[in-house]
Amino acid sequence: MAAPPRHSTMLSISNAGTSQSTGTDRTQVPQSSSPAQTSGLRVPSNRKTIYDRHLNRSRNAELSRASFAYLFGEMVTYAQRRVTGIQDLEKRKDTPSASVCSTYSSTAPPPPPPPLSPAPPPPRLPPNRPLRILSLLHLIHGPLWRLLFQRAADALEHSVSAETPNEYMITDNDPLVNTYISVPREMSMLNCAAFVAGIIEGVCDGCGFEAKVSAHNQPTEMWPSRTVFLVRFGESVMEREKVLERAGVK
Amino acid sequence: MSTQKASRIGEEIWKTRIDKVNAELVTLTYGTIVAQLCQDYDSNYQEVNKQLDKMGYNIGMRLIEDFLAKSGVGRCANFRETADMIAKVGFKIFLNVAPTVTNWTSDNNQFSLIFDDNPLADFVELPDDGRAQDELWFSNILCGVLRGALEMVQMQIEAHFVSDVLRGDDTTEMRVSLVRYIEDEMPPEDD
Amino acid sequence: MLHPDWLLDPRLDSPRDELASCFPVAFQLARTVFSLIIINKAGGLIYQREFQAGLRKLSTNDYLVLAGTFHGVHAITRSITPKLPLASNTSPAVSSPGANTPTTGYSYPNPGTPASGLESLETEKFRLTCFQTLTGTKFLLFTDPTSGTVDTVMNKVYELYADYVMKNPFYQLEMPVRCEAFDRHLGAWLRGRT
Repeated sequence: MAAPPRHSTMLSISNAGTSQSTGTDRTQVPQSSSPAQTSGLRVPSNRKTIYDRHLNRSRNAELSRASFAYLFGEMVTYAQRRVTGIQDLEKRKDTPSASVCSTYSSTAPPPPPPPLSPAPPPPRLPPNRPLRILSLLHLIHGPLWRLLFQRAADALEHSVSAETPNEYMITDNDPLVNTYISVPREMSMLNCAAFVAGIIEGVCDGCGFEAKVSAHNQPTEMWPSRTVFLVRFGESVMEREKVLERAGVK
Repeated sequence: MSTQKASRIGEEIWKTRIDKVNAELVTLTYGTIVAQLCQDYDSNYQEVNKQLDKMGYNIGMRLIEDFLAKSGVGRCANFRETADMIAKVGFKIFLNVAPTVTNWTSDNNQFSLIFDDNPLADFVELPDDGRAQDELWFSNILCGVLRGALEMVQMQIEAHFVSDVLRGDDTTEMRVSLVRYIEDEMPPEDD
Repeated sequence: MLHPDWLLDPRLDSPRDELASCFPVAFQLARTVFSLIIINKAGGLIYQREFQAGLRKLSTNDYLVLAGTFHGVHAITRSITPKLPLASNTSPAVSSPGANTPTTGYSYPNPGTPASGLESLETEKFRLTCFQTLTGTKFLLFTDPTSGTVDTVMNKVYELYADYVMKNPFYQLEMPVRCEAFDRHLGAWLRGRT
């Protein structure tokens, strides 16, 4: 995605000493935050534009779950088609399904790339951006999940292995995106909730936490489409975490 | 069936029989699809319009079953009734909007849908590249949905947008024309 | 809608009535559903399932033939629907050469609704109810003839089909239905769990 590195602002907070990165950030801000003034776009005379309506107008609005299912289904179909069409992408992956997953992930993170939707970032998170991993994960597990799926996620766990302290798991017993989907047996590795993994990754990235997120099938008898999202934070994040720990930042 | 009756049916189904999700999830998903298409087709907006229409067609062929199952309505007596069904029941239960049906031609085969609200386009501003506002029909998927859905109930139609507030127009208007009723597998009437 | 023998049927003793009255409607109906068949627009069998353990099964080929035959019979029953002369046509019996535009001169008994084709078929032992959607797909329910109308079951089956078959991107239209979520929800609902 060609989106500007949204975590750069975060860097400027954590490493306040490096003034260079802060400088480049500042120059980016005006051009991305005020498209209205510089825009050559035509607007309707009744000014029905995104700048003229309340930001939270649709926050509590509802649409049919069916509409989401159809759009999501088309996305799945489209990704499948692209993947078989792009052979070199397929070669680099073990299974076609894995490449479908990665295609979703790259497709997924909202907001869509800048030109089409420069307006608000999707999860209107509390004004205080999380600085620590746990507060970020709580934000995703609770408010983000509630915003997108009307309920919190079902579990949030930290890896017990000393070798992978950077791994966290968010569990959803019944992901909304998979409600109507039955994956054929021959593609049983595929989990369409990779779309949600993409969203999580986008949110982590947007908050300045470099991470890789993947979706894994962990069905139980009661929850046949139970999915675990494995969040793996990057080294830079883990190092910063240590610094913040010592500094007593919550 | 009158327009008012269709509106009542639409409202009733929307209130009592529709599973809902957060509107922004739908809006952002659709935005992601269009953005991805623009990227994959290198901002060839004619091609993007075509792809959106095709996706919509695929959706329409499936969505019609949900429409029929949820609404329980029977076959429309004429194309005017069909228009009301689309606007007041179909759009209502899937997008929670009820566009105005207007600008009928005298042969009752063509009408316009005027959208006051379009949830698919919330948050959207077209790319400021000097072309998108002239070439891209952001909500073109809806044309395909109507085409696909009506084809499944034996109506061949043509639908296209003629204006869009995203392009700086004052209204968002879709033009729908009945091409023909498709004869089903019924043997020809012979007597 | 009740079977004519219903009132005389010795099997319908009072304990069964009592039992039935304490269960939700879906449960009562579910007890009487033997099996379901779905036929696509072209007359092909795309789904077949039994809902009671131990039912004797036909071979796959027999089911395919059954679906195709039913499809044909259904089309015939539509085409043989009697047509009445239009009211304005004052003397239909007298055929004059000038009035040789027959299709405009006749109409179905109730012109508002098109001819539907075979809707139900009943024997001493079972009832077959056919529901054809406006898109041409047919749902066939085999039920106990002593049970009442199966409208509720039929509507629910159609809704589940619209949800778990048509909204599944891996399902290809008109092809055999292999959707695990459809099987699961259909089974659960018919067992009266959901």
